[in-house]
Amino acid sequence: MLLQLNNIFKWVQQGGQRVFLLKDINLEVEEGEFISVMGPSGSGKSTLLNVIGMLDTFDEGEYNFLDEPVHQLKEKHRSNLYKQYIGFVFQAYHLIDELTVYENLEMPLLYKKISGSERKAMVADMLDRFNIVGKKDLFPTQLSGGQQQLVGVARALITKPKLILADEPTGNLNSKQGEDIMELFKQLNDEGVTIIQVTHSEKNAEYGKRIINLLDGRMV
Amino acid sequence: MIIMIKNHLKIAWRSLKANRLLSLINIFGLSIGLTIAIVLFLFITYERSYDKMYASAESIYRVLVNTDESYDNQVLTTAPAALSPALKSDVPDIEYAARMLKHGFGETAFIKVDEDNFLEKELYWCDPELFEIFDIQFVKGNPADAIRRPNTVVLSESTAEKYFGAADPMGKTITVDNDQQLEVTGIYEDFPANSTMHCNAIASFSSTFAAKNPSWGNSSFETYIKLKENVSQETTEIQLQSVLDKNVDAEGQWFTFSLQPLKKIHLYSADFVNSYSSRIGDIEEIKNLSFLALLILLIACVNYMNLMTAKSEKRSKDVGINKTLGASSKNLTFRFYAETGLITFISLAIGIVLSMVAIPFFNKVTGQNLNSSLLFSAELLIPLAVFWIFTTLVAGSYPAFYLSRFSPKAALASSLKTGGKVINIRKGLVVLQFAASVILIVAVVVIYQQLQFIQNQKLGYDPENTVAISTMGISGNEKKDALVQELKSLVNVSEVAMAQGFPGISVSGRMVFKNENDEGGMQIRTNRADAEVLDLLQLNLLAGKTLPKVKQEGDTLVNVVLNKKAIDYLGYSPEEAIGKKALIGGFGNNAYIAGVVDDFNFESLHRPIGGYAFHNAKTESKSFALVRFNNASLPDMMQRLETVFTNVVPDSAFEYVFLDKNLEQLYAQERKTALIGVIFCGLAILVACLGLFGLAAFTAERRKKEIGVRKVLGATVLGITQMLSKDFVKLVLLALVIAFPIAFWLMNDWLQDFAYRIEIGWEVFILAGIAALAIALLTVSFQAVKAALANPVKSLRTE
Repeated sequence: MLLQLNNIFKWVQQGGQRVFLLKDINLEVEEGEFISVMGPSGSGKSTLLNVIGMLDTFDEGEYNFLDEPVHQLKEKHRSNLYKQYIGFVFQAYHLIDELTVYENLEMPLLYKKISGSERKAMVADMLDRFNIVGKKDLFPTQLSGGQQQLVGVARALITKPKLILADEPTGNLNSKQGEDIMELFKQLNDEGVTIIQVTHSEKNAEYGKRIINLLDGRMV
Repeated sequence: MIIMIKNHLKIAWRSLKANRLLSLINIFGLSIGLTIAIVLFLFITYERSYDKMYASAESIYRVLVNTDESYDNQVLTTAPAALSPALKSDVPDIEYAARMLKHGFGETAFIKVDEDNFLEKELYWCDPELFEIFDIQFVKGNPADAIRRPNTVVLSESTAEKYFGAADPMGKTITVDNDQQLEVTGIYEDFPANSTMHCNAIASFSSTFAAKNPSWGNSSFETYIKLKENVSQETTEIQLQSVLDKNVDAEGQWFTFSLQPLKKIHLYSADFVNSYSSRIGDIEEIKNLSFLALLILLIACVNYMNLMTAKSEKRSKDVGINKTLGASSKNLTFRFYAETGLITFISLAIGIVLSMVAIPFFNKVTGQNLNSSLLFSAELLIPLAVFWIFTTLVAGSYPAFYLSRFSPKAALASSLKTGGKVINIRKGLVVLQFAASVILIVAVVVIYQQLQFIQNQKLGYDPENTVAISTMGISGNEKKDALVQELKSLVNVSEVAMAQGFPGISVSGRMVFKNENDEGGMQIRTNRADAEVLDLLQLNLLAGKTLPKVKQEGDTLVNVVLNKKAIDYLGYSPEEAIGKKALIGGFGNNAYIAGVVDDFNFESLHRPIGGYAFHNAKTESKSFALVRFNNASLPDMMQRLETVFTNVVPDSAFEYVFLDKNLEQLYAQERKTALIGVIFCGLAILVACLGLFGLAAFTAERRKKEIGVRKVLGATVLGITQMLSKDFVKLVLLALVIAFPIAFWLMNDWLQDFAYRIEIGWEVFILAGIAALAIALLTVSFQAVKAALANPVKSLRTE
């Protein structure tokens, strides 16, 4: 088992009342799964993804990740955990504008203090695999949206995470570009990477092996 | 680690290039702050280096004379001539003691070498022990006995060259004031530029009248001592008191002694009277300048923070991405410091270049002689590194700690909510910057008004078209009389009078008493002068008449013309005073009042008018020929005066000063303060505007969406500009409220130094307020208009 959420609640106080963002979420994710999270705006999809990605906290419940009790861990432990096992893909790509494609890919490896020669090999490998060797010296603004997201996915994968969290990865792309990214995800999943994606699109959701529907913070 | 730094610097450099305007403003502001800091640092280092070159600097002291109330508690740097011999015999802790007398109590000496005439302002008469105390290097002659004999003199190398050219001066003779002949017995290396003491010629003290009759009454001799090892200043000061008690009875003790260490002489003597050296610094000035420099550097650092966080939307996104990629807060703190470090490094480099430009200007304003080659000396490396690190730490602190704390979730959220507290800090900083600028504006205006006021103040006499020609080099009254006659006969010369001094320079100090039982008395300045002096200065005669034109030989009767202040003290009306006896110390109880003149400002306007008397006692010599001329061409007039002078007195040099020019000198310090004030004020406002610009840019960015929505709903460009500017007007108004009381208090305090001063009017504050508002509005509206003109489709599309 990769991760397990038990009775997760998250709320904010508004005018003396609790407004629930997540309500009694129970979820088990095995390694190798491909899950699509669906639901209308404000249903709590992104919040759920942030909780799983340990970028956000919750108020009640238990969260175990690879048998580590996340709800009991200190901030530092938590961030070490997600640094090691989770890669993020964003709707707006979130590449660093001042760095070239090559340097963007290298960034997570620098934070992991991986040696120079190894870094070179890993980045070259990734460029090769995503067919973007020719673009390695370009800056993000010189790329199309689809190409940027390709780099975003490559960057998320470079540290060899067990889990990819993707928040509407095709939201800013046209349908052809979006299809390419989805195909890529499918291929990655076939290679054994666990993927959880948030999406609005029925068609993209179909790529997942399992679909979770959220409404007002509750799984339906 | 290295690769990390490299990476940080790479990102910093690229974002520097990407945001050119922002980077330029940042670097510009910091460069100005650092330039000022560098120049000031050089200045302070130089000031502190004074007198450190003497081998026994630690054990050398100057004797100070602390006077009592009858002399206004002034501290004199000059001691009685009798002190030094008494110290040698009575205080074994003192290894050496030496007296100095500046020639003629501070007058220019007329030196004659063969047929050539020279003016010498730095001739001193000294005890030979001076060379035991100060290790002055001799090129020729023996310091131990060079000026032991009377009528000997040693010259500095450059002075020797001036007097004798290439010839060997040893054994040759120079004549002082056409009177005393001195044999040259040594040549010493010129005093270094950072030695407070700087003599061009040192003659033997044994040649002076004071050596023959050393008195305790005339305190006019700078006295230096060298203490033996392990002797403290305090115990020596106690011994000085007992020497005083032994020699002067309690009645005559109008002063006490204290010691001033050599290393403090340069910076801590500004308030003392009689200093021989013109190389006197002022620790207060250094403190004020340092404070201002630090203030501007801090304002520049605050700007940097403002401008760096202005782009916080982009920044927070960066932080969020990096955190999800595995960066820790520490990584990011370090990254922002690296970025700041890069920018401050560039600013420092520019600052060094700007300093080279600023140093000659600084020298001109302050009268210093700093050398810009100091910028590249090895000693400056460490201070420059300290500046760099200090600026980086201060300026980088806020971005580094504030931005790196963003949580990745908040940073990546689609709309950014920046905390209200943070905005308030930023606003607070801008308010402080502007308050500081407004205080400077008020200060500059008040200083300017006061200087104008002084210039237009009715002096009570007319200093214009009047020149004072020095006659100190003339021996014999016949020649002086001949000169006066010749001068009087010149065309366009309306009046000539010989006098001891003139308004604007110090004359003799005496005491005047109401009667024999008057214990206190009043200080009165006395000036020996010719009868024509009243007409020459165009003084207003209230009663009686001027001094008699001729005085019989052997006539011991003294005639005086008093000012109104003096007869007020004596309790007479002007008419009553005529013919009455005036009890003035030193006139042998034989002085009678001939006339009374209205009060006039004979000193600087820092001091209220005191008692003043013109007299014809033979106690002082008349050192100046005062000449008043009608509107004639000035160069021509001076040419003719010089021709007459050299005809009558071929063996003396022609030295003169204009009375009005001399008067301006009295306010040189204020002029300097005003000029430095204007410069710092301008820079502070400039840098503060950069900060406001940053805040305006930040606000415009933060409210981009709001502005877009408002425009879609029909707001006009003007309306939006007004909306954005309104907030800043509030900030500036708040700054004014803070600044006005502080400025009023500071400048009122400054004005207390003047006996004649302006009232600070409300129009000063109106002016400063309008100036600050106008500057702020100009700065802000640039951003506001830009934001208002932006196409709303663009700003709304991002959602």
